[in-house]
Amino acid sequence: MQVIQKIFFILFMLGGLILTYYSVNSLEQIYINTSNIFIHFGVILIFVFTLIIIIRYLLLMFFSILQTIRRSADEDDVIHTSQTVSVIVPCYNEQEVILHSLKSIINQTYKNIEILVIDDGSKDRTYALAKVFEFDDGLRSLKVLSKPNGGKSRALNYGIERARGSLICCVDADSKLDPVAIELLVQHFRDPQIAAVAGSVSVVNTNSFLTKLQSLEYIQGLNMVKNGQAFLKLVNIIPGPLGMFRKDAIQQVGYYSHDTFAEDCDLTLSLLAQGYKIDFEPDAMAHTEAPENLLDLLKQRYRWTRGILQAIKKKKHYLWHPRRNPSISFVMWYMLFESVFWPFMQVWGDLFMIYLALSTGASQLLLFWWIMFTVLDVAGAIYCLLLTKEKLSLAAYSTLYRLIFITVINIAKIFATIEEWFNIEMGWGKLERKGRIG
Amino acid sequence: MNLLSFLSFLILAITLLTMVFGVIAYFLYKARERKKSTDDLTYEEAMEKEHSELLFFTRS
Repeated sequence: MQVIQKIFFILFMLGGLILTYYSVNSLEQIYINTSNIFIHFGVILIFVFTLIIIIRYLLLMFFSILQTIRRSADEDDVIHTSQTVSVIVPCYNEQEVILHSLKSIINQTYKNIEILVIDDGSKDRTYALAKVFEFDDGLRSLKVLSKPNGGKSRALNYGIERARGSLICCVDADSKLDPVAIELLVQHFRDPQIAAVAGSVSVVNTNSFLTKLQSLEYIQGLNMVKNGQAFLKLVNIIPGPLGMFRKDAIQQVGYYSHDTFAEDCDLTLSLLAQGYKIDFEPDAMAHTEAPENLLDLLKQRYRWTRGILQAIKKKKHYLWHPRRNPSISFVMWYMLFESVFWPFMQVWGDLFMIYLALSTGASQLLLFWWIMFTVLDVAGAIYCLLLTKEKLSLAAYSTLYRLIFITVINIAKIFATIEEWFNIEMGWGKLERKGRIG
Repeated sequence: MNLLSFLSFLILAITLLTMVFGVIAYFLYKARERKKSTDDLTYEEAMEKEHSELLFFTRS
């Protein structure tokens, strides 16, 4: 089966390159055959954008492959450490999921852990349900602390300030960890330059078309993008469901900040700004619920986009002074590209292609353009499914992923960017839990 | 109409419809959030929002 997947992967990569040639050729024909300055400008823009996207795909895949090779070379190099890990679980109205989450943390193979559940003024039974789990056996303990509602970042800081451990593991209350997750994350802290390690996130409720698409997105985002970033030790976001930090590094950068809606991204950038490295552990899995309806998904992506932009805005001087800290400058430009330029260019590209089709009759260009990206997506999906040993059938969703899913998400990202630009007020917007992680 | 032209037309139509759908979905989300934030207001928050000492409720 693995051989078949590899053959598929190579075929799709070759297909992608052939289609790129056809797309570029069609663009060239349009450029030559028209004197319209707007079309000339548009064709050049599309060409540059396509080139950047293809280079991005190839580089990330290349780095990801190198990282996978490096990891398999280091596989036997396991150390046993006795550092105390403080697991912080901030929660607000999590009665549907808190039990499963806490059980998965208690069942960790890593022995020396202190679990701090921070109830951020829940209005439901979260506190009472978590309180039942309290224990202390000398080596391990679970304590539930309650504070008035103040937001996730304040709840995390509240826990970090009270933590005994030198390593802090932040876990979302709606996530369920694999038993070896913490043990795997701890291994990365042998390198004193590593300040944080991102865990891997999988979607647990793949019961609908929308959640299957998100599952595919997570698999690709983690195994291609994060794995590629990990090769350079420049992972840009420690995901909320699972991440581990050095406590002194968090203290050095002044804890989680309260002025953005992506506190995890902001903290990661602050650590990178201090010259630390950020790694990724693909086998440390956190299983989480993905939004099951479109409006909830848009709410999540809207918040992520604005949060990332807020974090970038706070450190914008690094964008314009790359010599001061090349690593963070590179990471921030990359994030800006992914969250702003790409959505704008994708939607603008589609509109331009439609205009071309209607004005010049060159409708096949849109088809080539779509197939080219879809083939790249399918190749990327097959590569990631090969790594994760997930069902190959998920790759088939790539066709609809590019055609429908990403367009709808990109439109929400564009609106979020515009609203952030004009500083329009926004709220946290908590998603309703369905309790699927059990 | 050959296959290539048909597929081109199909992709064009789907792209257009998806874009319209994306914009509608976004405004539906914004409308839902606006309604939710009004529904979830506590008495004190509503007072603060209205900058008033008294609040008058209307029967809906």
